Amino acid sequence: MSLEGAISTPWRSAGQGLRASLSLVVGYAPIAFSFGVIAVQSGLTPWQAVGISLLVFAGASQFVMVAMMAAGSSGLVVLSAVLMMNLRHLFYGPALATRLVALPRRLAPWLAFGLTDEVFATAMAKGTSRPLEPAWCLGLASGAYLAWVGGTALGASVGAGWASEGGYVAQALGFVLPALFLALLAQAWRRARWPVVAVAAGATLLGMMWWPGHVALLVGMLAGALVGSRRSRTECSQEATT
Amino acid sequence: MTWWGIVIAAGAGTFLIRYLPLLYGTRLARGEGRLSRFLGALGLAAIAALIVLSMSDLWWQAPHWRGGVRLGLGAMAVLLVQRLTPNVGLATLVGAGVYGAAGWVLAD
Repeated sequence: MSLEGAISTPWRSAGQGLRASLSLVVGYAPIAFSFGVIAVQSGLTPWQAVGISLLVFAGASQFVMVAMMAAGSSGLVVLSAVLMMNLRHLFYGPALATRLVALPRRLAPWLAFGLTDEVFATAMAKGTSRPLEPAWCLGLASGAYLAWVGGTALGASVGAGWASEGGYVAQALGFVLPALFLALLAQAWRRARWPVVAVAAGATLLGMMWWPGHVALLVGMLAGALVGSRRSRTECSQEATT
Repeated sequence: MTWWGIVIAAGAGTFLIRYLPLLYGTRLARGEGRLSRFLGALGLAAIAALIVLSMSDLWWQAPHWRGGVRLGLGAMAVLLVQRLTPNVGLATLVGAGVYGAAGWVLAD
């Protein structure tokens, strides 16, 4: 490989990751827009709304954070709720690391900052077919982050007037995230892995009868992964060759 | 604790929840052991769980047969496009478009 090629490869990977983030951008923008609107309606300034998206970058817990702050909850209670909701992310880093060609220490903080549910799901779906370049993951997370912060800014500054309009376009945008997850599942699907999918889906559905969504999500993920961990080494190698 | 103090602490805490396992769990994730297989299956399990969570959120916004038909049509459109063209972005957009159009067609 030429020196020029070696230098340009990480940038090319980052560009490919950024292009791959397009589906995330389409999914994130309307949700971030809603967050901006709700934050301002809850009494925050547009700068405060954007500040939360810039610093926290964790979708559902941001909505909870704003609601609890508006209700006058104490700082420690708000902080505990946010961190409890995000505990599921504990498992994402090591799982992502199994799919990376390498983990350069200088990139690790940036990769970790962008490791949301959707970025993780997109990266893992891609990682089933080939090892992932860290720069590709960084490009993917950057696109998602820009969409999240940009959508929040737009919602906080001009969204209040649009919020009441709704309509079929708004409803269509509401289906973007489920559609994205379905497409990712289809991309990552291997027949031998159906028990993982069935158990994760079933456990999440059952969990939602008793617990809030973020707890059911964690239970479903862990139940599915436990089933996956019980498969023999032979099954794993057979799957890798199909 | 000030307002910005809460936001900064929430951001730092969320970052550490993501960063420390990435840094120190990487060695555990390598190899052929059961933990490695657990982490390898976690991505697919997370996607399946996220589908259930996001679809049921939409369902409960309008728990009616029309809502079920819309979800089914949208899901089928995603899977069909993903099968024909392995393009996640296109499949997502077509699925969302079909879901929105179905809402208009099935309206009272």
